[in-house]
Amino acid sequence: MSLLRPYSKVPELITATVLLVENEEEFQSKLADAIVQHEKEFNVNVRLARKLPLPVENKETRPRIDLIVFIISLLSQRSLQSVEGSLAHLHSDCFLGKVCFLVTDARCGSHTQERLVRVRKLAASHQCPVLCAEHRTADGVIAASVRILNILKVSAGMSPIATTALYLSSLTRCSATSDLEED
Amino acid sequence: MDAQARSVLYRIIRRIPNRNIENLLKRWNCLSADQMRALDYTRPKWMIVEHVISFCEESRLGLKHVTNLEMIYRIENPDQGIWNACQLAEAQDDAVCVELTQFKEQFKAHLHGVIRHISIKMKKHEDEAIWIRIAWGDNFSKPNHLKPTYVVHHLHTSYVFISNLMAKHKIFLCQALVIATKHGSIKDGLLSTKSLNAMRDLLLRRYQQVFPNAHSRILQERNTLPSFPCIGKEHRDHEEIRHQMACEAFGHGAMPKLETAVYRLETRYKGNSNYTLSDKEEFFRGVVRFSSSSLLESLRHCVASGMAEGPVTPLLSAITQRGRNYFVITDKGPGVSSQASAQRA
Repeated sequence: MSLLRPYSKVPELITATVLLVENEEEFQSKLADAIVQHEKEFNVNVRLARKLPLPVENKETRPRIDLIVFIISLLSQRSLQSVEGSLAHLHSDCFLGKVCFLVTDARCGSHTQERLVRVRKLAASHQCPVLCAEHRTADGVIAASVRILNILKVSAGMSPIATTALYLSSLTRCSATSDLEED
Repeated sequence: MDAQARSVLYRIIRRIPNRNIENLLKRWNCLSADQMRALDYTRPKWMIVEHVISFCEESRLGLKHVTNLEMIYRIENPDQGIWNACQLAEAQDDAVCVELTQFKEQFKAHLHGVIRHISIKMKKHEDEAIWIRIAWGDNFSKPNHLKPTYVVHHLHTSYVFISNLMAKHKIFLCQALVIATKHGSIKDGLLSTKSLNAMRDLLLRRYQQVFPNAHSRILQERNTLPSFPCIGKEHRDHEEIRHQMACEAFGHGAMPKLETAVYRLETRYKGNSNYTLSDKEEFFRGVVRFSSSSLLESLRHCVASGMAEGPVTPLLSAITQRGRNYFVITDKGPGVSSQASAQRA
């Protein structure tokens, strides 16, 4: 089983790469367009995938990945299960500030609350942040892309201030509150 | 005009929005220009109906004309009521040379021969479809024009579409159809939907089909390239295979708007944990109903987007391949239930 490692490749000059993983492939292309259009300061490469592990044949052409975003639609159980399966294919170094979860559809449906709790527990156990996004409106997509770019900037080392991914993740990671743990 | 003609007329007018009444009456072409001008379409419906009835009485129009109006209305608004498909089989050698007049004569002669009171009207629509309106009576009662059966048939195709047919009249209609189209038998097509057009498109294969072919890639024209060069897809091959698979099963482009698909289960429960159900000899009966405003597009999207994994099950692809939306799934042996039912279908 080939793990995805964050430091196995040399970074490219003024370039950051984000990997969007979404089982439904619904939101990721919109988000990718928004990310690329919004960022003007440095080059952003976006890779889209359904799940991990990534296909071996693309291994050579794939750049170093600075941030992995798991997009979870709370409307579908499968979406969450697929992400849980994918997490096993990440090297533990990734969890030092190079993974985040993006949750959509948190406001609709009847099972979304319990799934949100599961996502938060998952994120807390992996020390990753959870972002909520609205994917049905253009504004929501732009807002989500800005937030991802902010994290990407730090995790790819583009931030001028001496902030490291490790430091940021300790600030932004999802902490399971006590009432979550009791459930 | 008798009471039945009045109530038929009133029923038609009641269903149409006021602004469309003028068009319909124009197409009917039974009222004179003066009479048309005298009608005020802003009035309430019952007043318009009263006016039309008085004009009809002036011009001595009767039930025959009113049923004609109903046919015009129904042909323009085919998506009302439930349509059922029937399939003709065992075509005779001369079935391909059946003409409209011949069909008409034979059909009418047969039905008039078996039922004394019956009213049959036929119209040929622009798209080559024959519309038949049948008001049924029996030996002692006049035809009931309030519950007419509509039949649509395209000559030289093996499908007939029927709406609002009572069970006791089915045998007469089927016989007449078999004789008039020169076929050997007719059977239920097990397809029913609200939309006649969807049914026609599905059965007469008027949608864009994709055939499994390893060499030609029709889907190349599909825009799979991302909008920016710096966006790369890791699973592009997989995505293309999925699209190919979905289009092979459910077609490409706009699909007929089918609304439901029903699967009736007559299988035995096969779980190993719940022994209280599995040791019974009786069937585990249930009905699975899929419904959507456009079922085929939803299913295609499910497969194309990877929500449903793996190859499309024959149960779902049978909707388009066999042109039906009612299936009975029975046990034929361990592990072959899905295959068996598709074949049984």
